[in-house]
Amino acid sequence: MNLIFKNKVITGILTVLPANEVKFEDEMENYNFSLAKSLKLKMAMGYDKHRIVNDGVNVSDLCIHGLNHLFENELLKKEDIDALILVTQSPEYFMPPTSNVIQGKLGLKQDMICMDINQGCAGFEIGLYQAFMLLDQAEIKKVVLLNADLLSQKVSKRDRNSNPLIGDGASVTIVEKSEIANTIYANIKMDGSAFDTLIIPAGGFKTPSTPETGVMVEDAAGNFRSLDNLVMKGDDVFNFVQREVPPMIEQLLEKAQIKKEEVDFYMFHQPNKFMLNKLADKLEIPRDKMPSNVVENFGNASGVSIPTAITYNLGERLVHESLLICLAGFGVGLTWASMLVKMGNMKFCKLINF
Amino acid sequence: MKTIYEKLAELLEVDVVSDEQILEDFESWDSLTVLSIIALASENYNLVLRADEIRELKTVGNLVSKLKD
Repeated sequence: MNLIFKNKVITGILTVLPANEVKFEDEMENYNFSLAKSLKLKMAMGYDKHRIVNDGVNVSDLCIHGLNHLFENELLKKEDIDALILVTQSPEYFMPPTSNVIQGKLGLKQDMICMDINQGCAGFEIGLYQAFMLLDQAEIKKVVLLNADLLSQKVSKRDRNSNPLIGDGASVTIVEKSEIANTIYANIKMDGSAFDTLIIPAGGFKTPSTPETGVMVEDAAGNFRSLDNLVMKGDDVFNFVQREVPPMIEQLLEKAQIKKEEVDFYMFHQPNKFMLNKLADKLEIPRDKMPSNVVENFGNASGVSIPTAITYNLGERLVHESLLICLAGFGVGLTWASMLVKMGNMKFCKLINF
Repeated sequence: MKTIYEKLAELLEVDVVSDEQILEDFESWDSLTVLSIIALASENYNLVLRADEIRELKTVGNLVSKLKD
């Protein structure tokens, strides 16, 4: 589905990552894999270190830390927030929404909308779409989009399929009406028939967590996980991404009448270096235009991966310059979405630690 | 242009491979090699393979005919 948004602008991005850094080498002994093979895995996938929260930290803690940083540095005013969108798959409760919890803890005004959205790898795009739609309301002038996930808590430490790449984090993105007329092209597709490609099987209403769902079981490749853990069909994800993402980008650029080389950066979701390099090659985009260094430095925190890629790789540049950026998110759902957006002259674009 | 056997030898980390060799006997036969074969199939043969399909194959020859399907 093609989407068009008019006169909207991103005026700031802040990424908040837990300071606790875990090295791949320190977790290798958990895997049922020889040392040599683990090192080969590290090399091929671009694994090195990832950021993991300490026990007891919740998504609201990361989000509130980020928002307070903006309030204290006079980059955002509390009373200006007309909507708070939180995209997460690590909510604090089934009810109420975690965005309401954040609103309450920060003492934000009542005259606003809070909403949680359950989305992951394409969560930055989906959050932006929702923000753009809210901004069509006269009284909504500023939307704060929060992306936050702590999926390390749900991944088995003995699962070399998922554990080395997962990271925790949050991001705060400010979206406003633009005074200068512009058009943002975007698209999205979903395939719920493959809902179990990336899934946490137990813990919801259908299969509540019990001692039985916590039993660790070995799979064909020698990974141990329980029904309470996140499980990813890595081969299906790879094939899905290679099949669906290149045509999605071609379609986006065609709608926008933009040539591939006119795009300054391709800021894609960060599953691992291997997959991103294959995508760049298939799209015939130079690899240096598609950064793939988030997983090796911080881990993949689902919807936070694109804000992390932007703040880490471009940072201050987006305060002083304006760049044409193609975003793409793809994964859990299955969901895949892309967006072509001019970013620049931001009030802030940086990464801080929690 | 490398032949399919040269590419497989590279992925399997040996100098040469032949049809009758058993895939599971290779030291390097693991989930990562299976993923590399999925990537090779996708890039060079425009072919979508699943990990379980590849794991069912017995020999190098079976794999080659799968890729040439």
